[in-house]
Amino acid sequence: MRIEVKNLRHVYSPGTDSAVEALRDVSLSVEGGEILGVVGGTGSGKSTLVVHMNLLLEPTSGEVLIDGMDARAMKKSELRRRVGLVFQFPESALFAPTVEEDVAFGPCRLGLDEEEVRRRVSETLGMLGISHLASRSPHALSGGEKRRVAIAGVLAMGPEAIVLDEPTAGLDPATREELLDVVRGLKNAGMSVVIVSHDLDEIAEVADRVCLMERGEAKAVGAPEDVFYEHPENAPDTVRAALAVGERLPGVGRPVRFAETVEVLERVMGG
Amino acid sequence: MGRGIGQFYPGMSPLHALDPRAKILASVGLVAALFLVGSFHGFLLVAVVVLSLLIVSRVPAAAFLRFLKPVSFIVALTFLFQALFSREGNILFEWGWLSVYEGGVSNGAFLAARILLLVLSAALLTATTPPVALTDGIEDLLSPLKKLRFPSHEVAMMMTIALRFIPTLDEEAQKIMRAQAARGAEFSEGGLIKRVKAIIPILVPLTVGAFCRADELADAMESRGYRGGEGRTRYRELKFRLRDGVALLFVVLVAVGGAVL
Ligand SMILES: Nc1ncnc2c1ncn2[C@@H]1O[C@H](COP(=O)(O)OP(=O)(O)OP(=O)(O)O)[C@@H](O)[C@H]1O
Ligand SMILES: [Mg+2]
Repeated sequence: MRIEVKNLRHVYSPGTDSAVEALRDVSLSVEGGEILGVVGGTGSGKSTLVVHMNLLLEPTSGEVLIDGMDARAMKKSELRRRVGLVFQFPESALFAPTVEEDVAFGPCRLGLDEEEVRRRVSETLGMLGISHLASRSPHALSGGEKRRVAIAGVLAMGPEAIVLDEPTAGLDPATREELLDVVRGLKNAGMSVVIVSHDLDEIAEVADRVCLMERGEAKAVGAPEDVFYEHPENAPDTVRAALAVGERLPGVGRPVRFAETVEVLERVMGG
Repeated sequence: MGRGIGQFYPGMSPLHALDPRAKILASVGLVAALFLVGSFHGFLLVAVVVLSLLIVSRVPAAAFLRFLKPVSFIVALTFLFQALFSREGNILFEWGWLSVYEGGVSNGAFLAARILLLVLSAALLTATTPPVALTDGIEDLLSPLKKLRFPSHEVAMMMTIALRFIPTLDEEAQKIMRAQAARGAEFSEGGLIKRVKAIIPILVPLTVGAFCRADELADAMESRGYRGGEGRTRYRELKFRLRDGVALLFVVLVAVGGAVL
């Protein structure tokens, strides 16, 4: 599925003295089988941008296109099923007595029969590696486990695109790696993925394209190497290391991922 | 930020400058006056005073309208009940089985205006007094009850915390609603039972979150040495000045005037 936002502008509490222009003329797109990473400082408008993707927040002006169709013309329920949205700290919205029931909430709302709901729940729990938690209370889990339950709750609805707002914030490195593997799996299954993160290293590892937000504007959108090498102040350590070495030694090129960077540096320094 | 109850509008008006205790007592006085008045003239006096105070407060009129919005339904209902079912005075008009009496309409208008003025008096207090000053004032006014073992400090502290967390809870509720909406929840569709059911996915996480927050806050307060009101020195000291006395005297005169007229 292709999600495209065009000239998006959003003003919170317009017309009052506390009006905030959180988004200004943002245009970008994400295709099926692609991961778009959204980075930028606190308050730069990342969350505001991504909640527009299934119109949970309506733009002040501009438009959101789903496979070329104006999202506003689509049925709300249909739109929310097709574009799954996982909020920042999604675990704060867990409510059911058991993990299973919580994950089943979304699929039940789609009017699927009980058999299908159960199948989807066990499938997504398996995908996120939390099948063993199915009958536990979601409130008595660790932070990382809760996070995965909340993500499962959205994936169980069978979306064609998934938008994740800081899914790895506050998780330990191992859990984060596991979650990123899940995200790569979704991409390989053909889903469009949007992932917001403060962790540039993580975005460097997973993203196919990057959007850098600054004060409500998309300062740069494009391939990771283009965005990061144009804006080294917002680049991961790999890019900074490559830049520092590249100043003295030729042939470093523009590596972004960790493995790539190690390989390049070994070549130019060792050879 | 939190809308509705307990909204404070920072300002420099004479009302903002008054001691919170004076303002609390004066509001109580105004409310009492509104209950005591029987005659039209008395009511007019109190109404004019309340409305002038609104102007003196220099709080934008839109803010007061927002205070009135939640009660507008009750006011309208009160008026309709009085107008339709009261059988006093001359008949104004008849329409089928419905007959509206003069007395009903004037009683209804009187009651409705009284409710509106009550709400406005309370709004005057909360709009011109920062929440912390309000609770400091309440604590101070309740402190004579300490001799009767009434926990006036604790009650005031509870009110401060509650006021502080209304906007937070409101924000939290909005977030949870959006998260559930992303999972296909609908809050404004279907019959009564369906709607009540739709509230559960909001209410449960909101309550769980509130209890977690309460725990954290209690731990944080304790680790910073909070041990209740005993021997605690105040950061802000309240001062009752001449102007506070004058303001109180004024309100008492209005209340007495309203009752006598
Ligand atoms: N509900 C709201 N009402 C008013 N202003 C808001 C609201 N939500 C966000 N803002 C403002 O909009 C701007 C962008 O906020 P947003 O939450 O999109 O930032 P963010 O990039 O996601 O930040 P973070 O990295 O901290 O999550 C900020 O200036 C913020 O203060
Ligand atoms: Mg955010």
